[in-house]
Amino acid sequence: MIPWHPMSVELWLAVVILILFWHDLTAPAPEKPRMAVLAMIGLLPVFPLALAHPERSGAFFSGMYLLDPLARAAKIFFALTAILVLLMTREFARHIARGVGEFYLLIMTATFGMMMLCSAGDFLMLFIALEIITLSFYVMTTYLRTDAKSVEAGMKYLILGALSTGFLLYGISFIYGWTGSTNFAALRETIAQSPTLSPWLLFGFLLIFAGVGFKVAAVPFHWWVPDVYEGAPTPVTAFLSVGSKAAGFVVLLRLFHSIFEPVSGVWIGLLAAVAGVTILYGNLVAMAQTNIKRLLAYSSIGHAGYLLIGIAAASGLGAAAVNYYLAGYLFTNLAAFLVVIAVFNATGSDELTAYAGLSTRAPVLAAAMFIALLSLAGVPPLAGFVGKFLLLMAAVHRGLLWLAIVGAVAVVISLYYYLLVVKRMFVDPPADPTPIPVSLSVRLGLYGCIAGMLLMGVWQQPFLALAVASVRSLFN
Amino acid sequence: MIAVPLTAALLGAIAILLTPADRPAWVRRLAVTAASAALAAAFAMVLTYDRAAGGYQHELVLPWIPALGVSLHLGVDGISVVLTLLHAICSFAGVLISYSVKERVKEYYLFYLLLIAGVFGVFTSLDLFFFYLFYEMAVIPMFPLIGIWGSKEIKDYATMKLTLYLTAGAVLALVGLLLLYFAVDLRTFDLVQLEQWLAQRPLPGEFQRWVFPFLLVGFGVIAPMWPLHSWSPIGHAAAPSAVSMLHAGVLMKLGSYAIIRIGIGLLPHGAYVWMPWVAGLCLMNILYGGFVALAQRDAKFMVGYSSSSHMGYVLLGIACLNVVGLSGAVLLMFAHGVMTALAFALIGHVYDQTHTRILGEWGGLAKAAPFVGTAFTIAAMASSGLPGFANFVAEFLVILGAWEPYRGHAVLAVLGVVITAFYMLRAVRTGFFGPLNPRWAALRDATTPFARLPYVFLIVVLLVVGCWPGPLLTIISPSAQVLINRVNAVQTVASAPGGHAG
Repeated sequence: MIPWHPMSVELWLAVVILILFWHDLTAPAPEKPRMAVLAMIGLLPVFPLALAHPERSGAFFSGMYLLDPLARAAKIFFALTAILVLLMTREFARHIARGVGEFYLLIMTATFGMMMLCSAGDFLMLFIALEIITLSFYVMTTYLRTDAKSVEAGMKYLILGALSTGFLLYGISFIYGWTGSTNFAALRETIAQSPTLSPWLLFGFLLIFAGVGFKVAAVPFHWWVPDVYEGAPTPVTAFLSVGSKAAGFVVLLRLFHSIFEPVSGVWIGLLAAVAGVTILYGNLVAMAQTNIKRLLAYSSIGHAGYLLIGIAAASGLGAAAVNYYLAGYLFTNLAAFLVVIAVFNATGSDELTAYAGLSTRAPVLAAAMFIALLSLAGVPPLAGFVGKFLLLMAAVHRGLLWLAIVGAVAVVISLYYYLLVVKRMFVDPPADPTPIPVSLSVRLGLYGCIAGMLLMGVWQQPFLALAVASVRSLFN
Repeated sequence: MIAVPLTAALLGAIAILLTPADRPAWVRRLAVTAASAALAAAFAMVLTYDRAAGGYQHELVLPWIPALGVSLHLGVDGISVVLTLLHAICSFAGVLISYSVKERVKEYYLFYLLLIAGVFGVFTSLDLFFFYLFYEMAVIPMFPLIGIWGSKEIKDYATMKLTLYLTAGAVLALVGLLLLYFAVDLRTFDLVQLEQWLAQRPLPGEFQRWVFPFLLVGFGVIAPMWPLHSWSPIGHAAAPSAVSMLHAGVLMKLGSYAIIRIGIGLLPHGAYVWMPWVAGLCLMNILYGGFVALAQRDAKFMVGYSSSSHMGYVLLGIACLNVVGLSGAVLLMFAHGVMTALAFALIGHVYDQTHTRILGEWGGLAKAAPFVGTAFTIAAMASSGLPGFANFVAEFLVILGAWEPYRGHAVLAVLGVVITAFYMLRAVRTGFFGPLNPRWAALRDATTPFARLPYVFLIVVLLVVGCWPGPLLTIISPSAQVLINRVNAVQTVASAPGGHAG
């Protein structure tokens, strides 16, 4: 009998997607907003399914499919992200002229791809999953068809995304050519046994890193980020910045901390350099931004740099720190984007000037944004602080003192531009003093995110234990 | 009892968060209640501190992140118990002074109590993780407090500068703390465990020498050590009175306290090597700060530069690395904190009505407001180190302590006292005496007992400690002795041939 349980999450999501598809075809237009709630409910069973049968973990389908603690944790992460993104989309839906139903559908297919990606145990499976994700995103990015910026964003994302896919495939072909396998476990074995890394294998490995580097927005593969983040519909930007980035980091964890772990001496220096440059670039350029989405785009490049510290540290602590940071980043960044949508709905603008006097117009939005920005900067007692603390710890532990100092200095830089936004919200007088109504679902989403940020910042132990448990299978 | 100040402030903040914004009276009452509870607990902690036993007392340990060796370890020794009391006194007076805040009362007290909680956390933490956590938590509320309620012209610049300077110092110190964490095989952030471990196996001298600057510079920013002080006077000037009180009274002491607790306590050899440099720098604090204060026309800027000048004495006392100097430094932290809180509160009282802080524009205010005039004169006398005030005892001890190791510095430091007397008394003369400027004829004095309470309270503390410093000094000195013994132990090892700390 075929063991179906490793794919239970994916099979269930496929059913949900089909139901949504059918609903979209048959339901009259006024009933389509219901699809968001339907999709959210459809995502709920993912939590028990992902956690079920912890004893039946391992590799399945000839090593093609992995269900290890990392995959389980990632599935929970993606389900939570998707629920919050659906919530955002409900708020944003009024700006989508045509095809709201398909938009929800695309969110679900991207989520489906993410669920597959974190379970991929073979480069072919990885490639298929990655394409499911990016194809969904190509369409979603360009969804505001009458908005030139959105169309431009979609075009850029398509061209650069296709390029990065090319890199990835080319890299895989080199690796296959040299080792005769695309399976992760087999590759790890081959690499561990050969005393020196062949230059061709290294070349393929670098190409794959470039391909994934596009997804996580690491310098120098970050050029698409600001324009795409600015132009894409805001829920898509949020999804890109959290879901897509996390998916990339799951791949990086498998790639560096599992497959190429035996030759960590070769790549630690390279990764550390990329991390340092990414942190500085993202944070320095963010200082000059006047649009909140561009600001968050550059800051998300900076955060990718911080996450790369954990990869470069090549240790269990580093990997756990990456997962802790990502979990905190989920609550933090999605809270920020929820506020961005609520402000856009009220003012029609994403410029920073629209945030003037927000604390008097909508105290809830201002408070949530304040906490989110502080958490992004890494101020205690919030989730972002603990994540950064763990990453800096991992860097110092690995002996990357300079990288820890770069990370520490960038905290100050980032605080500067985050606090400028805080100043606008709390100090500057509002241009238009009318209160901004905040819907119940936005409120609930924000309260949930704030609770997550505070909980992960104050009561670290259970989350840290989860983060550590989720990466244990990487280092056999 | 140890957790009361911290939890009172935190619970107060939460209660205020849940109070409707249109009930400022409730908010104020909640804040006063929290500050009073903290003050009572801090007093009780000092009274019940066992002088004979010394060491860390009132300890409370909750395991927090066992995987990393983090525990919520609260406790105080003779040094931190005195500083906790200082903070309780200043924040109690500050909460009362804050009655003059009329705009956005709820938000104001929320941030103010978070600031208070953070500082209590630092003074009572015996775990490096929580030490850092509370330290950052104390810095960040300053941004909205100055940004929203500060004085118009300079607040945007001042608040950003202050926050970035202090955060930069903090993250640098964090890197130092992490280096320290990984250098000790215990893998714990618990300060007491680290101290016990290091007493048996001191860290290599080489390591101490290059890690110490991380902590010295990181915490020196907030101390504020020259030339890293420039955030401080403008920060004082821009902040609302009650925030200046805590900022100058207590926040700056976090830096010198951290240098004592972590710098000397864990890296005694590093301290031994670097302290002569600190002695040189703090002389710049004293003299440069003093001369710049001389040139100020704005009362708040004057007291601000005067603060960084006086913190130079604190650092000089620490740099002596002997018991007299260190005890003097801690007592001066206490005395200066109370004095400067008093001065800022009084300047704030006048500024709220005159809307100018230029001393030359005040003139003869003591005629219109005799109580405030008298109180300011007392603050000026305390600041100049007049016998009878706590500041005199403390500065005397610092100079006495510096006499042996840094005689030249001590002589020049005495000059600083003269400079202080000069600008403080000049401020009293131009601002409060002489002919009354007719513009301020209607200046309101602090007349009700409730309005006078914070000022009288601070003056009484200054006088009591000044005339009767024994009770505080006998608490401070044994703990100072413990730290100095550690330095001396390293010194003897270092001078012995083949000593591994060298």
